[in-house]
Amino acid sequence: MKGNVIIAGVGGQGLVLATRVIGEVALRTGLDVKTCDVIGLAQRGGMVWGSVRFAPKVYAPLIPAGEADYLLALEQLEGLRWRHLLKPQANVIMSRQTTFPNRVLLEKEPYPENIPVGLRDLGYKVVEVDAEGLAANLGNTRLANTIMLGTLARFLDFPTPLWLEVLRLNVPERTREPNAAAFKLGFDQGQTN
Amino acid sequence: MSDKALLTGNQAVARGFYEAGGVVAASYPGSPTVELLESLREYEEITSKWALNEKIALEIAIGASFGGARSMVSMKHVGVNIAADPLMTFTQIRTPGGFLLVVGDDPGLSSSQNEQDSRFFAKFARFAILEPSTPQEAKDFVGMGLALSEQYGMPVMLRMTSTLCHSRGPVTLLERTAPVISGFIPDQSRFCMLPPFANAQQHFMQERLEKLGQALDGLAENQYEDSGRRDVLLVTSGLPYQFLRELTLEYSIYKLAITYPLPITRLHDLAREYKRVIVIEELMPFIEDELKSAGIKAQGKEFFSFTGMLTTDNIAAGLELAGLLVTRPSTVSPTASLPIRTPMLCAGCPHRPVFHILQKQKALVIGDIGCYSLGILEPFEILKTNLSMGASLGIVQGMGMANRHRQNSQPLVAVIGDGTFFHSGLAGFADVAGTDLNITFIILDNRTTAMTGGQTTPTTGDLGAPRHAINIDDVLKSFGITDIVVADQFDYAATKTVIQEAMKRDGLSVIRVTRPCALNFRIKQTPYQVDQDICISCRACIGVNCPPIHMKMHPGKNKKNSYIDPHMCVGCSVCSQVCPVKAIKLAVTAEEVKP
Repeated sequence: MKGNVIIAGVGGQGLVLATRVIGEVALRTGLDVKTCDVIGLAQRGGMVWGSVRFAPKVYAPLIPAGEADYLLALEQLEGLRWRHLLKPQANVIMSRQTTFPNRVLLEKEPYPENIPVGLRDLGYKVVEVDAEGLAANLGNTRLANTIMLGTLARFLDFPTPLWLEVLRLNVPERTREPNAAAFKLGFDQGQTN
Repeated sequence: MSDKALLTGNQAVARGFYEAGGVVAASYPGSPTVELLESLREYEEITSKWALNEKIALEIAIGASFGGARSMVSMKHVGVNIAADPLMTFTQIRTPGGFLLVVGDDPGLSSSQNEQDSRFFAKFARFAILEPSTPQEAKDFVGMGLALSEQYGMPVMLRMTSTLCHSRGPVTLLERTAPVISGFIPDQSRFCMLPPFANAQQHFMQERLEKLGQALDGLAENQYEDSGRRDVLLVTSGLPYQFLRELTLEYSIYKLAITYPLPITRLHDLAREYKRVIVIEELMPFIEDELKSAGIKAQGKEFFSFTGMLTTDNIAAGLELAGLLVTRPSTVSPTASLPIRTPMLCAGCPHRPVFHILQKQKALVIGDIGCYSLGILEPFEILKTNLSMGASLGIVQGMGMANRHRQNSQPLVAVIGDGTFFHSGLAGFADVAGTDLNITFIILDNRTTAMTGGQTTPTTGDLGAPRHAINIDDVLKSFGITDIVVADQFDYAATKTVIQEAMKRDGLSVIRVTRPCALNFRIKQTPYQVDQDICISCRACIGVNCPPIHMKMHPGKNKKNSYIDPHMCVGCSVCSQVCPVKAIKLAVTAEEVKP
């Protein structure tokens, strides 16, 4: 089994947890894994992205252009920014979250409209997830990432109990139950879309 | 049975130090190596400390090495510049406890003020460099480096880059080797560096490199991958090797683990078999020039850039430029003209009102290094220079002196944070204390080293942190500085007056603003909200440039009013004080708090 997942978001959204969880799940199935998080001073609301690559053997931690199978977009503009890494007709799991960058806040540039529609027009298979809304319903907006991981999990061939175990080990003890619930909720989103 | 874990390069180095019987580690935070010392906290068997600057961190590691313990110091690339003074003399000393200098270079400048190739420091200081290409290698090379350090009596550089520090790969976990600590064994000629003892050490440094160079020809870690073809030999090291292996290639590869000194005899033998030798390395032609100095014809920077990170795509492009056939998939170009997303000050950041005030004053502000460096960017663009830690102190003086020669006495303003103040601002303040130039220094005391993830400073102690607390005002008074005003920057009008008045006064005026970092101290108070019936759409609040504030078309209105996202707003009140019509108020009902 092999796969390349690109994850895109805004600094502070918790991208590092996402790459760690996906990577550990893949490692535990016996695959070679490389992940990368491009962070640095970007935590201050700048663009952040990460990659997870798994296969019997992986060399580079970054996905060569045109070789990503999945795009997990925690924020819409950041998702759109990385489309050049995707294989034709790749799967895109996209949050409804839109966060205005500085120049948009200052009204110097518009925020692109209809991003999911635009990506579908380009041939990508887009699943939209209202991760923040669903997380709010669960009582904690920080569960949005876990919901997104749940949706992604439906597309990857890793067993759900393994996902839940890795998730359990990577979140604070008092949030283990809510995170498990969030994961399952996200998993179901993949079905209804 | 050994475990496998998925570790970042940083975590792997920490683990490697643990497994190799490492005892003392020191560091100063700076991307990409911050996580390294943080990971060392997990190991109670190791004493690890954040020092106030990289020079002190290196000296702590030197002291531990003198005491016969395996020691490690880690820093980002520019940190080596600060630690260079003790490093250049320590290197002369036959190292007792193994000593590892871990450096995080940043090709492509993802979060740095320069793009230096720190390998030259090791050559300058006459010691060896190890360049790992995966987290597993990073862990293994720690043990190898410490052993080489003790065997040859020299510090060893473990050279990392940003992507390697932050990327994860599988790592096999092993047991810790018990440390053997000899204690300090006094020997004047060994540890006291001055003539005539230091003179003899010049020969020692030369000989240790020669001995190591000769031993390298058999080093297994320098890997030769023979493809059978004899047209081109690709020589590489570090992470670029992994990107190179992604390509379908029929060329032989020689992957170096130790990039200084080079295994010259081995390389001569190999080069004789090949028509061409091409070096694939990031930044400067370090390996390339070593080969040329040894009389081996090599090419490298003709095809691969001297700036930026090497990845599969640009390595393939370079090889094609060199006339080598490479298969790579056709690619889509990045989507043009999407809004860029630069970092911004967080919601509730205490630097924001200071920058807003200075911008309205049209002040000329000399900047320094920290989160407040973001004052360079839109919309404030208020910091006019950015150089290195603590440089604001000297720069503002020099500019004032130059201005005086052209009869210009425009007030000069400078900003510095509490972290930077203690890192390298103390001597600068002592130096500028008696000036008659009109200088206003604003100390942005947000009680933390924020940009690197919230490490403590001596002023964090005010808020109950375990670090020894130091009062900045007392320090400055001891320097004979008397014009010191403490201000609450969330009282916009009062702070504006303090700044304006200070800028009128000759001599050094110091203003210390005291609100803590909103992100690090998780400040979240009742948010503010815009009364749509009062808002006149003047955009004064937009000019404050806080992430929750944007213009929005509300139902029943024919033009946009401003809107504050209550999830993001932390309730600092600055925008409400800037609004000319008092349209921004505290949200008081649950209904108002929900979007």
